[in-house]
Order: sequence, then C-alpha cells, then structure tokens
Amino acid sequence: MSDIQSALRETAKKLLTEGTVTCVIGWGETRFPDKTTPIFVKTPEDAEKLVWNAHCVCGLAKYMLDNRCPEGKLAICVRGCDSRAVNRIVEDKQYKREDLYLIGLPCEGKDAPICATCTHRNPVVYDVLLGGPVPEIEVSQEDRFQAVTALEGLTPAEQYDYWQKQFSKCIHCYACRNACPACNCTECYADQYRVGWQGKQIDKAENQVYGLTRAFHVGDRCIECGECERVCPMGLPIMSQTRKILKDINDLWGNYECGLTDSRPHILGEFDLSDRDDFM
Amino acid sequence: MVNHDCTCKDNPLVPQLCKVIKITQETPDVQTYRVQTLDGKRPFTPMPGQLGMFSLLGVGEAMFSVTAYGEDWIETSIKKTGMLTDAFHEMAEGQQIGVRGPYGNHFPVDPCKGKDLLFIGGGIGLAPVRSFIRYAFAHRADYGKIDILYGSRSPADLVFKEDLFDNWPKEPDTAVHVTVDRGDETWEGNVGMVPGYLEELAFQPVNRKVILCGPPIMIKFTLQSLLKMGFSKEDCITTLEMRMKCGIGKCGRCNIGSKFVCLDGPVFTMAELDELPDEM
Amino acid sequence: MQLKRENLIPALRLLAAQGEILVPTAVDEKVSKFAPWDGSSAPDLALVNTTLPPKDTLFPHQEGMYRYKTAGEPSLEEIVEAPARILFGVRPCDARSIDCMDKVFLGDKYEDAFYARRRANVTVIAHTCAQTGPTCFCDSMGLSPAEAPSADLLLSDTETGWLVTAQTEKGEAVAALWKDLTAEGGEAAPAPACTLKTNMSDALAGTLVSRFEDPIWDEVCHACLGCGTCTYLCPTCYCFDINHEDHGGEGTQFRCWDSCMFSDYTRMAGGHNPRPSKKERLRNRYLHKLAYFKERYGQILCVGCGRCVGHCPSHLDITAFIDKAAERFGEGK
Repeated sequence: MSDIQSALRETAKKLLTEGTVTCVIGWGETRFPDKTTPIFVKTPEDAEKLVWNAHCVCGLAKYMLDNRCPEGKLAICVRGCDSRAVNRIVEDKQYKREDLYLIGLPCEGKDAPICATCTHRNPVVYDVLLGGPVPEIEVSQEDRFQAVTALEGLTPAEQYDYWQKQFSKCIHCYACRNACPACNCTECYADQYRVGWQGKQIDKAENQVYGLTRAFHVGDRCIECGECERVCPMGLPIMSQTRKILKDINDLWGNYECGLTDSRPHILGEFDLSDRDDFM
Repeated sequence: MVNHDCTCKDNPLVPQLCKVIKITQETPDVQTYRVQTLDGKRPFTPMPGQLGMFSLLGVGEAMFSVTAYGEDWIETSIKKTGMLTDAFHEMAEGQQIGVRGPYGNHFPVDPCKGKDLLFIGGGIGLAPVRSFIRYAFAHRADYGKIDILYGSRSPADLVFKEDLFDNWPKEPDTAVHVTVDRGDETWEGNVGMVPGYLEELAFQPVNRKVILCGPPIMIKFTLQSLLKMGFSKEDCITTLEMRMKCGIGKCGRCNIGSKFVCLDGPVFTMAELDELPDEM
Repeated sequence: MQLKRENLIPALRLLAAQGEILVPTAVDEKVSKFAPWDGSSAPDLALVNTTLPPKDTLFPHQEGMYRYKTAGEPSLEEIVEAPARILFGVRPCDARSIDCMDKVFLGDKYEDAFYARRRANVTVIAHTCAQTGPTCFCDSMGLSPAEAPSADLLLSDTETGWLVTAQTEKGEAVAALWKDLTAEGGEAAPAPACTLKTNMSDALAGTLVSRFEDPIWDEVCHACLGCGTCTYLCPTCYCFDINHEDHGGEGTQFRCWDSCMFSDYTRMAGGHNPRPSKKERLRNRYLHKLAYFKERYGQILCVGCGRCVGHCPSHLDITAFIDKAAERFGEGK
C-alpha cells in the first residue's frame, strides 16, 4: 500500500507542478490513527499530505459539486465506488468529464461494512491507474441483497414496525443526502421549506416523507457506495431502502447496476411503451 | 428583562391576536397595514425603528419595522417578496393577524436632540425612517431643521405619498426632497439617484445627524457621498435586515459576529457596523 | 456521603416518585441517548458519550408553542408543558452545556418561557467520568472530568459506589431523599485526563474574530459536507426554527432544532443569503463556539464532549482547527 501511496503523491505533485490540474482531492491524516479526512491539495509540496490506507473511507466525488463552474481541471482520487460516483454525476450532467482528471486506485476494501458487498473494487473510469488491478470478489445477488431479503421475510406488520422504529431515530441532519453522489440537485426539495414539500417536524410523518422521498429519488441511480449509511449518526439502515428498490428493478428488468461507464440510463426515469404494466 | 406586549405576558414568543383596520396600497407591491387589538387598543408602543413580528396564522411569521403608531393603532408596511408577503397582500380589512413585539433597539432619539436631522430613504427603506420622522414631528421642539430625502425607482414606486407631498412639507422648518431614478410623463420632480441628488443639495455636516435606510447598494453609494461631504460615520445611522425567527435573541440566525440584529439592532451607526464582521 | 453501588436501584426508585428519570440508554448497537429509566436495571454509566446529548429534555427537538384556530373566530392557546424530570448520570461536559443554554434562554434581556418552565422542573444529577472517550477534550476547554459545578447533585466515583455532593437546593432535596441509603466514607477516584488535547485560549478567541478574512476558513471548510450532524449532536447548539403545522382552519405553531450549517437558515425572503456557502457557515459555527458566545455570555460554547469530532461524516475535528489556528496566529497557551 505504501508503494501506491508514494505513487499517489508523485502523481499529484506532477499534476500540480505541470499545471494539469488546480487541485487534487484525496485523503489526509487526522489526529486519529483509524480515521482519514478528505483533503484538497493545491500545491506540489502539499502532495506529501496525501495518504492511502485502509481508513480512506470518505467518498470524494461529491466534493466536485462545491464548484460547479471550475476554472481549471480537478483531480480526484477514485476507488471503484468513487469512479462510479463520478460517472453518476457526469451522467446527471452536473459536471463535465473533461474538467476532471481521475487518479484510479484499485481498492481491496476499506474499513467500512459496505465494502464486503463491493462489486467494483477497481475503478471503472480513470485517467491513470496506480498499481495493478486487484481481483474482484465474488458477490452473489444473494449477498448483495441479503439485508433486503431478511426484511422481506418479515410480515408487513413487522416490516412496518421495523421501519417505524428506524425512521423514528432520524434527526433530519441530512448527512445521508449530503454525502450521496446521486443527490446532486442544485437545490434539494427538502431545503425548499417555504414551498413546504418537507416539513421540519421531527415526527413519524415527516421522517417517513423524507426517508421515502430520498430513497425513491436516488433508488434507480444509486451506485451503492454506502456513504448514506456510513455517515448516518443515528444508524439508520439506509442502504436497505435503496437496495430494496435496486432489487425490485433487478427482478423486473434484470441485473442492474449504476455508475458503470456503459450503464443504462436510470431506469425509473425513462418510459417505454413496452414497459411492464401487469401490476397496474 | 424587557417589557413586551403579548397574549401571554410571560411569554414573548406567543403573539396577540389583532385586526387589520386599514389597508393602504402604497405602490403596486407595497401595502401599509394599520393594526389594533381586538378590543380596539394599540397593540404595543414602539420607539422609532423598533420591530414587530407579524403573523398570518397557518402561513407564517416575519419581522417588519413598525413605521407609525397612533392612539389606538400601529402601522407596518410590507413589500411583496415571497410567499408570506404575498399572503399579506391578499388580506382584507378586518382580517385578524398575530402581532408580537416591540423588538430591538431604536433610533437614538435622545442623542439626536438639538441637532438638525437629515432623513434619507430609498424604496421601502422609507418605512423604518418614517417612524423617526413622525417622532421628530411629535417632539418638534427637540430637533432643529428637518430634511427628508427620498428616492424610488419610478413615480409609481413612491411610498407614503400622502406624507411626502401633503403632510410633511407642511411641518415647520422642514423640507422634503423627492427624486426618482426614472421619471414619467407626469413627473415634475427631480430625476436621478439619491447619492447625486444628495450632493447637489449640499447639506452641511455641521450639528446634523443622518438617518439612512434603503437597499444595500443605495446605502453603499449614499454613504460614500456623505463621507465625501464631510459627515462622520458616527453621525450616519442605519438599520439592518437579517432573517429572523424569534425576535428575542434566542434562535441564533440573525447574528453578525456576537451581535443579534433582532436584539442589539436593527439600528446601528455606520461606525458601529465597521466594527462588525463583514457578513450582511 | 457515599451511595453504595448496591443501593443505586433503590435510590432511583425513591427518585422516581419525584418525576421521570432519564438515564443514559443504548437505543440499539449504534445509538444511545437519555431515555426513561426502565425501573429495574442499573443505568449504563460507562457510556462515553451518549450519541445524543441530554439537551432535548430542556429544549426538545420539536416543541409545540401554541395552538391556533383560523376557522370561525380565530384563537390562540399557548402550550404549557413542563414535566418533572430528573436527568441522571449527566457527564460534566453535558452539565456545563445546560449552563450554556441557561445563559441564552433564561437571560439576555428576555426569558424564554418554554425553556424556563421546563428548566424549573428538571433536576440534573451529574456523574464524574471514570474514563474518558477517544474524542473527549473537556479538560482543554476549562472543564474537569471530575467536576460539574452547575449540576444539582454530583456523583463522584469511588471504589464501591459514589460520593454524593449536593450543589443546589434541588440537589439537597435529592440527598435528603437518599439519607437512609447513604453512609459516611468513600474516597473519590482521581479524575482521568482526556487523551485528546487542544490549545484553546482566551487570546485565540479574540484573534479568531480579527482573522475573519483569513484563508484558514477556506482551508478548513473544504471537507465539510454541510450536514447538520455536528450541530444536532452538539450539547450546546441551541438554534431553532419556528414553523407551523396547519390542518386547515387550525394548527400548531412549533419550534424545532435548526442548524447554522443549512443554507436555508439565514436565507432571506428575497433570496439574499449573508452566509451563502459552507465557508461562511462553518466560520460562523466555529466563531460562535469559540468567540462570539464568550463575548456575549462570558464562556466558551464548546464543552469538549467530542461528539462532533466522533460523528462528523468527513472526520472534521474542531480540536485540529483550534491547534492549526493557534499555531498560525501564534496564540498558544
């Protein structure tokens, strides 16, 4: 790993020295040995601050949206999930691919539970790949949707109770939304308080409105990075919601994954006369 | 603790129900509301420049300057800028609204005693100034010569026309100077922006206080003119606007540095504003 | 006086007659908070720190202010709710946070009636820290893990239970209630030190305000995602929004926690926002914590509980910021 970290620093230094990019987004140290934080390297000297280790868990693609009209090219370190997040945002027309330089980092899994069901440990898009590809792990559809299947086994009443209990914990901090690369609207519906889509009440109704709206809004565009669930301070099993939608899409239309360079357009956002309607 | 007049005497956050007894259409997008309690009394007694929280139950609540008061009423003027103010404009006379206040500090009516006063208003900015103008006329002997300089975009946008053209010019030792950015076929007064007209009128910066309210851009250039004419920042007094919810310095959002605009403002001298962080 | 460990449950049972007891409780494997005592088990006093602070006992996440009617004859009816409650096992950091909220809600020209009523009926029983967590830094913020001067009653760890120190009248009443359950003796365990340290000083507080335009704010804000985690888990963040829930002809005006990290917080009706990006918002949050509050109320609005450090999605760390600023501006202790 340290070889790749050296290569990463060298690459960043070169990109900044040659002026190819104005900033490199990667991970840097914190005061805690088991945590890293996103850093924004703007000078060749600061490239030394970049790290690559098991604790590089924070998704990075979302940060490109802080500046939607960039003056120079932006470099982002991309693991498999970050690369799919970049594809997500580019496909959603929120950023131009040509304004990005992607430093690909094959990833053997980080200190996050979601990594156990990662189907793309190698970046799916990059401008340079540091180190050779790592072997992908075998993740069956059963593994991928294990949490969903477990919930589907409950009776409707039990499912309702389960989600009631989970939603009741939500504090409307919007960390799940803010960390999510598929949540890339310039203004979220939930922030339009004056229109009143989303009430500020912390109660059963409003918590559900938020949870379900979020799930359906990102469900068919989710790249399964698991950031929503990782950042939730209240421990809501947010990926189980999103993956439920993905699983249903899978069952109806066949294996479906987002953020791959050759992904189909998001499936709930298109309409075709041949679409199934037997449930109507 | 500060005295306040609310439904619940020990709770400054609960409004009292009042009725709108008169609505004056000032301009196409500004209305003035005369309000009294349900039993025909003045809701509260404001000092010039103080604020009132006005609410439409079920729609919302917002802070406005109390521009005038009489024996048994107070008045506020509201410009259409969003959902709540649109709803205010749909009111009919007799409608009930919530009122709480008065909040904030007030114009320095005592330190201004014995001085000439120059009131400058731009657009709806004449609303807060009006409260001090009326106070000065009610305490006419306390103040020297009074000049009122008011500018709006067009003749149709002039607010308080009755005051500007009928009432105030009749007051002793008082001059009213009105200007519009763009005239029309009937306009015979001055055409031009406030700062230019101000310099043309060549007020002397001797024993004179300036009370200045209007849109930020107008304040900026008018202040430049005043400084050029020799006025000090200590002698230029203005009011600030920030988003407010509680009105009593608790809810947090209207701070500029450690000052709360709802509690320590809205009235500040330009010299005091220089001491605050530039975040308005 | 000492309360032996075996007397804790009987002591709580006596207390339960005085009001609802809220104790540190694990809600599930990820979340803990102050929740009603179950009446039989020993509270988990080793939880450092509960995910959610005890502030919602005094300042609920959402609180009705008044009910209104607009149909027919309009009317308003204030909502008065102030249950008798005992916060049990509050850590020194959280006890200090209540002190901070008191300064805001009980003073500064207006008393907040909703808070004041609840506050009058809440008894705070603090508990010293036998151990600190990895993100605790209260002893860098002028607190001690062994003291909670503003709590009504302090329980200090001994080898066999807790020393009971009444610190207010409410505390005296609790001590009197426990008189038959307590005995002389016992020695308080030495206070542990926080492992996380930061170089906060009065001088730095002043300097930070004067460095309002320093590039440091740009540097620290980048990683921030602009969520409300830090503010909602913070025991001292007290900002709120006022809103209503309308049911056509009648409804309820309520207030709820708000976060200065959200764009809507300061956005005005016409669209202008004095704090338009995360840089201005994070700067305001840090300055409020470290400088503005002190200017206004005489103490820092950070109690070093470490929740924001432990739960930030991006692992932003206010202690790292303080030290960076202290080093850059030459304002170390």
